[in-house]
Amino acid sequence: MDIVITDSALRKFLETNADCETIAKDVSLCGPTFDRLRKIEEDTIYEIEVITNRIDTASAMGVARETAAILSQYNIPAKFINDPYLEPMKFQDGLSKQFHFNIEKNTVIRFTAISIENIHIKASPEETQKLLENCGLRPLNNCIDITNELTLLYGMPSHVFDLDKLAAQSLTIRESIKGEVITTLDDKKHTLEGGDIIIEDGSNRLVDMCGVMGGQVAEVDEHTKNILLIVPVYDSKKIRKTSLSAQKRTLAAQIYEKQPDPDLCLPVMSKAVELIKIRAGGRVSSSLFDYYPGVRKPKLIKLDFDWLNRFVGVEIKREDVISILSSLGFGGTIEENSLICSVPGWRYHDINIREDLAEEVARIYGYFRLPAILPSVNLPAEPKNLLLETEFKSKTFLSDIGFHEVYNSSLVSLSLLEKTLVDPSNCIKLKNALSSDYEYLRTVLAPSLMENYKSNQGKINDRVDILEIANCYLSDSGQELPNEVSTLCLMSSSGYLETKGILETIFRKLKVNDFSFKTTSTPKPFFNPSTTADIFSGKQKIGEIGTVKPVVLRNLGIQGEPTLAEINLVNLVSKINQKYVFSPISDYPAMMEDITITSKQFLGDIIETIKNTSQLIKNVQYLSSFQDKHTFKVSFESLERNLNQTEINDIKEIIQSRFKV
Amino acid sequence: MHLKTPRSGEFLLLLETGKQTMKELDEIKEELKIDLNAVATPEGLDLIDTKFLGKQGKINQLFKTLPIKTDPKLGKQINDLKKDIEAQIAEKLDYILNSSKTATFDVTTPGKEQAEGSLHLITQAIAEIESIFLRLGFVRRRYPEVETDWYYAEGLNIPKDHPARDDQETFYVGDNTVLTAHTSNGQLREMELKKSPPIKMINIGKTYRRQIDATHTPMFHQFEGLVVDKDINITHLLGVTEYFAKAYFGQDRHTRLRPHHFQFTEPSFEIDITCEVCSGTGQVDKQNCKVCKSGWLELGGAGMVHPNVIKNGGLNPEECSGFAFGWGVERVLMMKTGLPDLRMIYSDDIRFLNQF
Repeated sequence: MDIVITDSALRKFLETNADCETIAKDVSLCGPTFDRLRKIEEDTIYEIEVITNRIDTASAMGVARETAAILSQYNIPAKFINDPYLEPMKFQDGLSKQFHFNIEKNTVIRFTAISIENIHIKASPEETQKLLENCGLRPLNNCIDITNELTLLYGMPSHVFDLDKLAAQSLTIRESIKGEVITTLDDKKHTLEGGDIIIEDGSNRLVDMCGVMGGQVAEVDEHTKNILLIVPVYDSKKIRKTSLSAQKRTLAAQIYEKQPDPDLCLPVMSKAVELIKIRAGGRVSSSLFDYYPGVRKPKLIKLDFDWLNRFVGVEIKREDVISILSSLGFGGTIEENSLICSVPGWRYHDINIREDLAEEVARIYGYFRLPAILPSVNLPAEPKNLLLETEFKSKTFLSDIGFHEVYNSSLVSLSLLEKTLVDPSNCIKLKNALSSDYEYLRTVLAPSLMENYKSNQGKINDRVDILEIANCYLSDSGQELPNEVSTLCLMSSSGYLETKGILETIFRKLKVNDFSFKTTSTPKPFFNPSTTADIFSGKQKIGEIGTVKPVVLRNLGIQGEPTLAEINLVNLVSKINQKYVFSPISDYPAMMEDITITSKQFLGDIIETIKNTSQLIKNVQYLSSFQDKHTFKVSFESLERNLNQTEINDIKEIIQSRFKV
Repeated sequence: MHLKTPRSGEFLLLLETGKQTMKELDEIKEELKIDLNAVATPEGLDLIDTKFLGKQGKINQLFKTLPIKTDPKLGKQINDLKKDIEAQIAEKLDYILNSSKTATFDVTTPGKEQAEGSLHLITQAIAEIESIFLRLGFVRRRYPEVETDWYYAEGLNIPKDHPARDDQETFYVGDNTVLTAHTSNGQLREMELKKSPPIKMINIGKTYRRQIDATHTPMFHQFEGLVVDKDINITHLLGVTEYFAKAYFGQDRHTRLRPHHFQFTEPSFEIDITCEVCSGTGQVDKQNCKVCKSGWLELGGAGMVHPNVIKNGGLNPEECSGFAFGWGVERVLMMKTGLPDLRMIYSDDIRFLNQF
């Protein structure tokens, strides 16, 4: 939450010679962050980021308390002054008017009210008007301005009603019922969702959208003579809900949703009454109404000095610890090696454990005073992460030979899935998508790459070679969470054989065991089944490679006939041979022989058959085909001896015999 | 071509020892002269060398066939001839190797282009980040991006009705499952995996938020560090932060901690790093620096792991403590490269990808 306060307001609670720049610089390091300083005539405006759990600092007083504590640590004399908690308050008892509010349970933490009669509405003094304007609020009249001024100064919102416009004989604070309507001070009509805190008067009218904005019916205007002043603390969650659903992020709402200190109600009530008397005349006409059902127990937390030093990492003197905590309003008693700290009311919610106290000590002491030390943690050795290594090796290799790596969103649109024939019912769908462009989690990467391919066509030259490695999210029935499968997808302007060659090189480099490419009948839906292969390592399927169905190419507007491959890296990694195997190099020369086979079998099967004919066959290289005739270059080699032509001819005959029909 | 002419004294000697021998030596010389005239390559010269000086060469044949023992002068003559041949071959070799017969060409002609791909900026950044933390002895992990409420929020000390829950930034995939908006689920997962301290891990992964503008994309990357051991303290967080900042951004950069609040750390910090543009002064040419806030840029959040989180991870907060941080990969990348719009990083235009 960001607040705006002026330097003059800050100095109502702060006695120091430090200039604005010094304050902003030093406090930012130890407390709330001063985002910006703006010099204006005779004053400075601070824009301050209040840390979300420190609503006590969302005021001039709160920032002043922090500033005084922090500057002292920089050896700059500074004192927190005009502490409202310490000032005497007097509320007259036994006055004729007695208010009674019917208060529904769990709506308020504390509720205080008082009436003042015979006031004169006019403009606020210039100083007040300036303060409000400088802080981004609009001056209205002396009474309303007082409530706003006190919010800025003390961080405690209050509200005034025109008493004569209220049917005040019966006032009820309750949760709204769905459909109830209230018109707020800004002339906006709100139909409530139910569960909002509202005040209903004796004529069954809603007069306040509590903690967010007052109702128009009881607005204080230039004719107002008598007022009802309230200083409440509401249930924070209900205020937040109303503020968000009504889209009214008023300063009061932002403060109430973080729950300000209920102990501050009476000091602020006392200030308000005092200021109203001074600026608008009038006299208090009712006894103080003060409803505070759940008075809080004092909160005590033990802080062990040795633990503190271990946790912060440096030794902080006990007297420094004590002086820091007391400058922030903490009290307590010292035991042998520890401090029993009592938590001040305004810190009741954010200070709960010893670590919270350690933070207070360390930040005021100054994080910038702590040395930077590398921890010596003796982490036992871990096995290497083969998946991460494989991902990096694969993409490095591909990028080295000309592929460009892309990163696509894991979330894709229904339209893309439909264009690429992917069944959306298998994809995880977001419940609250940002837009239809980002709605389904990918189960395959190829659709995104096809989009990338299309958008790059014609931009550079006639080639597009791209790759992506990312997770696919495969829902697994019976499992709460999907399987996140690291996947490599590549798409290339090259033909099938060249792309297949690239994959084969990767597999060999990665030492993937025994891989093979086999015809498939059921590839992923965008692949053309007649020109697509399943890729196996042993019996484990690790991916698919092929061309894309013409209808999919047409849906995406892709020209030419690119090759697409998608590899399941988790399965691939399971087939990597991690052992180093040394194969001896023969001292005897290899002999090369061309051999032509006539067969209707797949080339892959023919090569397998040739290879398996003799252990002397070292390699089979495919040369060319003419109809059913296929020519290979076969190399023969022995580790023990020179081979002679006769035995090679024998092997060639055996090979031929295997293809006799 | 310039050849050495035989000295006249040699011929007189030969005449005296017999015309037959002189004739043979003459023939060898003549043959050598023809051969040397014809040869143009070092390989061809090697053949000439073998022909005249090899084991079976002409000179050795002379030693075998002529009556050297009866005529000591004869031996000397052959030896002289041998030296002469050696000299002529050496001279010719020298000539061949040093006379440039290769055609000249325009050395400024563009080289033949080779395929040149690119690794994505994010990959490069992750590799660099990973290597920095590996040097510090961290182990890299990857944890789920689709996560249950427990690991994502409840176990991280964010109860069901906490305001942090309705920030509208989280994508839901089920009633109890989300796309992670941070990598902190890795904290609980790592503690469960290791079961006891020490822990020193870096979890790098994809994260998702319901936002899109110049500094937000629905998907981005974070790196989450977690160190848990006996007596881990705030100075250790500072040590690792400072090391990372200097290693990644440069030796002249500095970091600072500012107080902050997160539910899963206590205390919590915002970490700033000095701005490169204004060198941490906040001023460029007497104007306020446009890139940073008074000399500092926000790096990201960090903190000491909340005892409840340590407990929820199955460890005992009385026996160990830890720190954690979660920073954006794209964020550090933008801080380092000065790329103005996060959405650019996710461009698929090869003309952009090509540049890195």
